[in-house]
Amino acid sequence: MADVFSNIGLGLSVAASLQNLVYCMLGVLLGTLVGVLPGVGPVTTVAMLLPISFTLEPTSALILMAGIYYGAQYGGSTTAILINIPGEASSVITSLDGHQMARQGRAGPALGIAALGSFFAGCVATFIIAFGAPPLAKLALQFGPAEYFSLMLCGLVAAVVLARGSIIKAIAMVVLGLLFGLAGSDVNSGIRRFTFDMPGLADGIEFVALSMAIYGIAEVAINLERRQEEAKKVNAVGKLMPSGAELRACTPSILRGTFLGSILGVLPGGGALLAAFAAYTLEKKVAKPPRKFGEGDIRGVAAPESANNAGAQTSFIPMLTLGIPSNPTMALMIGALMVHGITPGPRVMTDRPELFWGVVASMWIGNLMLVILNLPMVGIWVKLLRMPYRLMFPMIVGFCCIGAYTINANVADIAVLAFFTCFGYLCLKLDCEPAPLILGFVLGPMMEENLRRALLISRGDPMVFVETPISIGFLLAAAGLLLVVAAPAIRRKREEAMAE
Amino acid sequence: MIIRAPKDFWSGIMFLCFAGVALYASSFYSMGRGGRMGPGYFPTLLGAVLAILGLILVVRSLVIRGDALEKMGWRPLLALVACVLLFAAMIQPLGLVIALSTTTFLASFAGPDWRLREAIFLSAGLTLAAVLIFVLGLRLPLPLWPSL
Repeated sequence: MADVFSNIGLGLSVAASLQNLVYCMLGVLLGTLVGVLPGVGPVTTVAMLLPISFTLEPTSALILMAGIYYGAQYGGSTTAILINIPGEASSVITSLDGHQMARQGRAGPALGIAALGSFFAGCVATFIIAFGAPPLAKLALQFGPAEYFSLMLCGLVAAVVLARGSIIKAIAMVVLGLLFGLAGSDVNSGIRRFTFDMPGLADGIEFVALSMAIYGIAEVAINLERRQEEAKKVNAVGKLMPSGAELRACTPSILRGTFLGSILGVLPGGGALLAAFAAYTLEKKVAKPPRKFGEGDIRGVAAPESANNAGAQTSFIPMLTLGIPSNPTMALMIGALMVHGITPGPRVMTDRPELFWGVVASMWIGNLMLVILNLPMVGIWVKLLRMPYRLMFPMIVGFCCIGAYTINANVADIAVLAFFTCFGYLCLKLDCEPAPLILGFVLGPMMEENLRRALLISRGDPMVFVETPISIGFLLAAAGLLLVVAAPAIRRKREEAMAE
Repeated sequence: MIIRAPKDFWSGIMFLCFAGVALYASSFYSMGRGGRMGPGYFPTLLGAVLAILGLILVVRSLVIRGDALEKMGWRPLLALVACVLLFAAMIQPLGLVIALSTTTFLASFAGPDWRLREAIFLSAGLTLAAVLIFVLGLRLPLPLWPSL
């Protein structure tokens, strides 16, 4: 107990340094901005900022990126409520009731409760990380290679289950990602794999170039053909503070949303989107009286908004304690840490406490900044909504080109960018979700290494994976998830859920 | 042979192609044994799994009806890729200012509505911002002007 508080104290002292405050502020500002702007999301932004983050201290870099990730959840809800265009995927649910409220002239309270609910959820989630992460890291320190391999397998399966569309395609994308991740020099034999004698690939496929290609430029190409510039009618905001009755009605919803979101965020493959969806579904079932969900019920805004913020934050737990990314943004952050020579995993907490606790504390500070940014300044964000996409996409292209070049000052990385832009575009056109590919890419080398070590210890006996209860548990969980998704009844439900 | 689910069919073909490349390339690396995995072990395993998945997709697409292919938007894609390659060709000999202003100016052609004056101002503004942020602010080692 006292330990946790002294750690939080350490974190606050790191996060409250002037430099880190500035990066936190910059992160949440950028996050809100890209959350508001339709067509640019946090993944794209974090990908574009990767090269910049390499010039920063690792703690500052992570604080900046984390700020973008949870800041986008706030910004996304603003557009969802005011113009029914969710700036962020996880805000889709918010627009159901939030936009109805705006049409009834209650946009202000909807925005207010979204910010207050998010702030409450953010604070709770910060404490959940502070209390929950250390025991998990302690447990993970006992993991051997076999447990790690099973854990990664389980994480990848979960990512597949939660991907949209066909499961076979999602598994194939994971496998392809793992293969891409293996390109370059093999640590053990020194042999260069999959480089096809191209010097540009000697160190493997550059992660930054790959992610910028898929989430930056390929995304732009898709947006350009789908986008029709339409007149956006922005509803008046009015007074922001919800009434006392509204606040009372929302309190249980916020608590439920926070609780559900915190749990779902920790699961591999989870995060903000799943949390918001599940919270809304739960709210429709349990909220009494079950008034008019979908017709402007304020609880339909409060619950998913709390949940997506809680989920966004607790999804840092598997990343910081196990080194397992639960979504593409987390995968990008792992990539950033690795460039700094830090392998995310249970050791981060003991070896670099200032990094871990600094980031956790910065989340709490960042949430406070977001409430201040979002409530009084909502008018400024609304103005930004009118920025046409034709002014934004050349910026994304330019940033990606500069970014790909500056990582290694190598022109070959820009060629990688061009190649994977085509590949990413093709995948999006064929309904192959890129998220599992990115997770596979990050985990590929680690998975091979752990498989190799596990089999080395057991002298080639594959039974090593079912010898310890932890490893069996992960494998059973993975098999269970696959079975659940394969069962026809549940599959139908899942498709309905995804379609909504 | 009727392709009933074109999206799945072509996804399957794509995965099969990648699997083929992976299996072919891995055949040059030593496999080792379970207890001493060689560099070819894991990629061969993955390549085989990918090939099976691709095959399932292809076979299934001949039986079960599915989504038709979407129209390809060639203009934005090709324009964007061309811009990226152009940047790659220009950055080292010509420097950031010329490479970036050209790239962003041409990139704005990729969109559906294009305005000359806007494109000029945009590329000039972006180049200025990039020089300020990346070269002066972050001191990234980017060549600014053509090297003579």
